Amino acid sequence: MATSTASSISLSLNDRLVAGISALLIGAFLVFGAGLANSAVLHDTAHDTRHSYGFPCH
Amino acid sequence: MIVKTLLAAIVAGLIAGVFMTAAQEMRVVPLILHAEEYEIQAPATQEPAAAGHDQHSSLNGTSPAGALLSALSPVTPAYAHEHEGEHEEGGIMFGLSRFSGTLLANLVTGAGFSLLLAGVSLVIGYPITLANGALWGACGWLAVHLLPAIGLPPELPGFPAAELGERQVWWAATVLLSAAGLYLLALRRELVAKIVGLALIAAPQIYGAPQPLDISSNVPAVLGAEFAVAALATTLAFWLVLGVVSGFINDRFVKVR
Repeated sequence: MATSTASSISLSLNDRLVAGISALLIGAFLVFGAGLANSAVLHDTAHDTRHSYGFPCH
Repeated sequence: MIVKTLLAAIVAGLIAGVFMTAAQEMRVVPLILHAEEYEIQAPATQEPAAAGHDQHSSLNGTSPAGALLSALSPVTPAYAHEHEGEHEEGGIMFGLSRFSGTLLANLVTGAGFSLLLAGVSLVIGYPITLANGALWGACGWLAVHLLPAIGLPPELPGFPAAELGERQVWWAATVLLSAAGLYLLALRRELVAKIVGLALIAAPQIYGAPQPLDISSNVPAVLGAEFAVAALATTLAFWLVLGVVSGFINDRFVKVR
């Protein structure tokens, strides 16, 4: 936000975008692997998690 | 600094993942196990059930011998249709127990959702703090769980469902559109942005989720209703914990402004 306090470390806009986009990419990769990937091993391991989170399963 | 920001998100996600595992064991996992009992009974009981089974495992039953084997097989349909269309052996990674597999998957999913939440926050420039963490979590739950659940409610094993690929595409598209819509609705001041936001949220629901042709199931409807509510309540708790913990860690250790 625009109101930055003196004690906080400011990320430059560029750094913030790099951090944000890397977080989005890694996060999407992890969620895809646990929730959506079409692999029998991944499916069986994450089976109860997939159902509990309401990921489309089976 | 970038690494520290990402680490903070991962730690928050792992904490929420552990919490989620405990929360699931209370209600959601027992309901899944209960439903699987009905799923096991399914093929032996009656013709309609067998037809429903065929629809699921069409790729297994290509030869008569294969159909006979699958009819005699002690393997449950749940397990059998996991192998549909692929020759890979299933089973839980690293020989973990079912519970450890779920814990592992919850940790990975928690870290994943946490990174996505942090990523959105960084890209749009609104930090997650202890004060607004619960709101961030609630919006995450709306976008990832409640809004997609309107078309595709959390399903139990043994429930009839449309083709997996189509449902996954609809689900992912709905999550993305809902998240974008919520952003426009909640954080933009312009009236036009709010209207577009509502339209984005409504669009996938109006388009409609892929639905199964045959909705008969051996799993009792009451279990399904209990499960849908339990799953949504559990994920709401997960997202609230995730948002608040993320905010706490950001306030305390990261201080990104």
